[in-house]
Amino acid sequence: MSDLMIKCNFFDNIQILCKTIHLLIQTLPLLFYGFSFAIIVASLMKIKPDKMKKIILAFLNVVIMLSAANAQNGINFYRSYAAGGRLAMFVDSAAKNVYYGNIFPNQPQTFFNYLPEVNNVSVQIYFGKTERVQDYRYTILADNKPIVVNKLIETVRLKNADRGEEEIRRSATLGSFSIKDKIITILTYDIQRPQDVYKNVFYGGPIPKAKIKTLAKRFATKKGVDYSYITDPKERTNIIFTRKDDELTIVKDRSDIDYLYYTSIKDKHTNKVIFESTAWQYGGYLDEAYKLSPYIKIDKSIFKKSGDYEIIIQPLIKWDRYSDCDISSEEIEKYVTRHTLSITIDEESYTKLELFTYAAIVTFSIGFVFLVILYLTKKSNKKKLAEKEQEGSMIKLQLNSIRSQLNPHFLFNALSSIQNLINKNEIDSANKYLSKFARLTRNVLKDNERISLLQEKSLLDDYLQMEQLRFGFQYTINHSGDLDLANIEIPSMLLQPFVENAVKHGMEQKTTAGKIMIEFMKQADNLVLTVTDNGTGFDTERKYTGLGLQLSDSRVALLNRVYKENRFILVIQSSINGTKICLTLTDWL
Amino acid sequence: MMRAVLVDDEISNLENLQALLEKHCPQVNVVAMAQSVGDAVDVIGKYLPNLVFLDIQMGDKTGFDLLKLLPWRYFEVVFVTAYDQYGIQAVKFAALDYLLKPIDIEELMDAVNKAEYKLATQKQNSQLEFLLQQLKKSEKNVGKIALQMQSEIRYVTLSEIVRCEADNTYTHFILANGEKILVSKSLKEYADLLHPNGFVRTHQSHLVNPKYVKSWLKEDGGILLLMSGEKIPISRPNRNMVKLALQQL
Repeated sequence: MSDLMIKCNFFDNIQILCKTIHLLIQTLPLLFYGFSFAIIVASLMKIKPDKMKKIILAFLNVVIMLSAANAQNGINFYRSYAAGGRLAMFVDSAAKNVYYGNIFPNQPQTFFNYLPEVNNVSVQIYFGKTERVQDYRYTILADNKPIVVNKLIETVRLKNADRGEEEIRRSATLGSFSIKDKIITILTYDIQRPQDVYKNVFYGGPIPKAKIKTLAKRFATKKGVDYSYITDPKERTNIIFTRKDDELTIVKDRSDIDYLYYTSIKDKHTNKVIFESTAWQYGGYLDEAYKLSPYIKIDKSIFKKSGDYEIIIQPLIKWDRYSDCDISSEEIEKYVTRHTLSITIDEESYTKLELFTYAAIVTFSIGFVFLVILYLTKKSNKKKLAEKEQEGSMIKLQLNSIRSQLNPHFLFNALSSIQNLINKNEIDSANKYLSKFARLTRNVLKDNERISLLQEKSLLDDYLQMEQLRFGFQYTINHSGDLDLANIEIPSMLLQPFVENAVKHGMEQKTTAGKIMIEFMKQADNLVLTVTDNGTGFDTERKYTGLGLQLSDSRVALLNRVYKENRFILVIQSSINGTKICLTLTDWL
Repeated sequence: MMRAVLVDDEISNLENLQALLEKHCPQVNVVAMAQSVGDAVDVIGKYLPNLVFLDIQMGDKTGFDLLKLLPWRYFEVVFVTAYDQYGIQAVKFAALDYLLKPIDIEELMDAVNKAEYKLATQKQNSQLEFLLQQLKKSEKNVGKIALQMQSEIRYVTLSEIVRCEADNTYTHFILANGEKILVSKSLKEYADLLHPNGFVRTHQSHLVNPKYVKSWLKEDGGILLLMSGEKIPISRPNRNMVKLALQQL
């Protein structure tokens, strides 16, 4: 407690006294009790006896002041307050709320009294008994116009205002003023210390709401820094902080009481104040009257996240400090300037060099992709060409695969027939048929695309003679005389499947009466090949008539794809009297 | 009477051939048989045969290896092979005779008759020397071909051949100097043989060396004009193939 008392300065004592007086005046009938109460409270608070005396003396002093003031100019001065420093003030009864003795950071010699609704104010100055009153000068300004300048306080006007033993105080009235919508400023100084000018402001008009004139964003450039400005922002401003941006400047409209305003920034999301400042800077920003505008600088780093923030600029008057003042939060809000900043922190923004680099990379990538596509297209074109080329050989391969499917049933039966000849000791016959069998097999294994008609004839001879070992039929192979058998070529194994079919379906039931007739004929430029039998015939609509015929169908289709200049026409006529197969190779000769 | 040596790595093949010769070719006297290249060198050196039946594939060695080892090659050779395989192309280029297994008796008799005829008419078997030269080169890079004429063998450079024309089972070779050679083999055989060397069968009767083709005349569905001024027909079934072959040049 003693520590606290030591800390209390003179002005604080005055303020406590004034408050006490205020209470006493309002409750005059209870004065005595109040006084007693004050003593009791003080004693309860274990205030030291000498301090206590001081408090009481000051109290009495104010009571005397009160009676003196009441006599002045016929104004009914109703209450008195400490006005800061050596000054005290009496206000009229119109006053409801008096916000007295406000002090501000960095303004140790300025005292601000906000007196809304007050009509008149009377100001007194107090001195200690031993102080050199003649060294003091005062200046009074009404709305910045000097009324009194550097005036001496005449000692004759001084009145003792103290009956205490140790310290007798003297006071003088500096003047009474109509304060309604006016600003009275009183400057006082001691000529021994002329640099210490005390300034008491009595503010009668409404305190203006601060206005944000400009928001400026500083960003790095190649040469240094530059700013981007938003002037006269509305309620909400969107700001994007990129990597090159570093600070935000808030410029306020200029006023004579800039020191009054206090700026804070609140994170709307967390509702926490992330920035506070009362220190206005000057220089760089001029208003319309070429006067320096106050501004504050805010480092970008306080904005940790993107989101909404609120700039709050309000007078630094602690409204709730005055227990006898009654002001609603709505009224307080009238003095508060709020501005929403919608911050976007865009760290991904790039410098010109980076942009250039990225652009180059993107361009390169696109180019690369383009080249890849080009390459793939070329490749696929090449592939298509190759596929076309391959198609031909594919067809040939397919033809080969069909061709090599000589009926295994025939193969093994033929071997069986040769075995029979050997067992019958018909050696020459066995040799003969073995050679035929070998030639047939060899021809199947060979991938000769084409053979001459002569070769085809001898192969069919070989084949039919082999089959004759099994079935007792007759056969003939005829050709028209104008055919050059040795040199006319046909796809190999072309007729064998039909001949095999003739043997199978035509001859199996019959024995010696069976006949197969094979003909090679020239009809104009066409080569006509026929296989005729006198067997029982078969239904030409049925497609299951043996592997040989089925293969022939697909083989003819394949041949038509290989030989586009020629047509292979297959006609099958089958009746009870036999079957005729006619294969025409158009424009072959 | 011909003195024959049979060379084959399989005893059953030797016995079979010996039996067939005894039965069907009385003019052949089988003096010896060998089952390996090494044995064959000894046997041939000892018996000096004028006819050798020579299997091409013998284990990891070939009948050609045997021929290379022999300093003395004054005999006729009939190659024997199971299937068209390594070396048969060279044999064909050299116009030498060959038999396929199992041996067809008629073909055997034919081959023996030819050999007898050659032995009677020719002093030296130049075809074997030619064969060995051919074998040194790769199969596609054959420079020359042996053409069996009535009484002599002609070795013709492939690039000299302008074209071949069929005359039934005979074939005419027309050379760049205008000479004509008649060979008793079908055009089909030469078409197959020379196909790897780029010769194009344009028509059932015509085989052309594309080197000597000047242009393709579109008249009558397609005619090749040769540098000599001759016009060679292109048959419809061959048109695509001729087009492809000429494009590859």
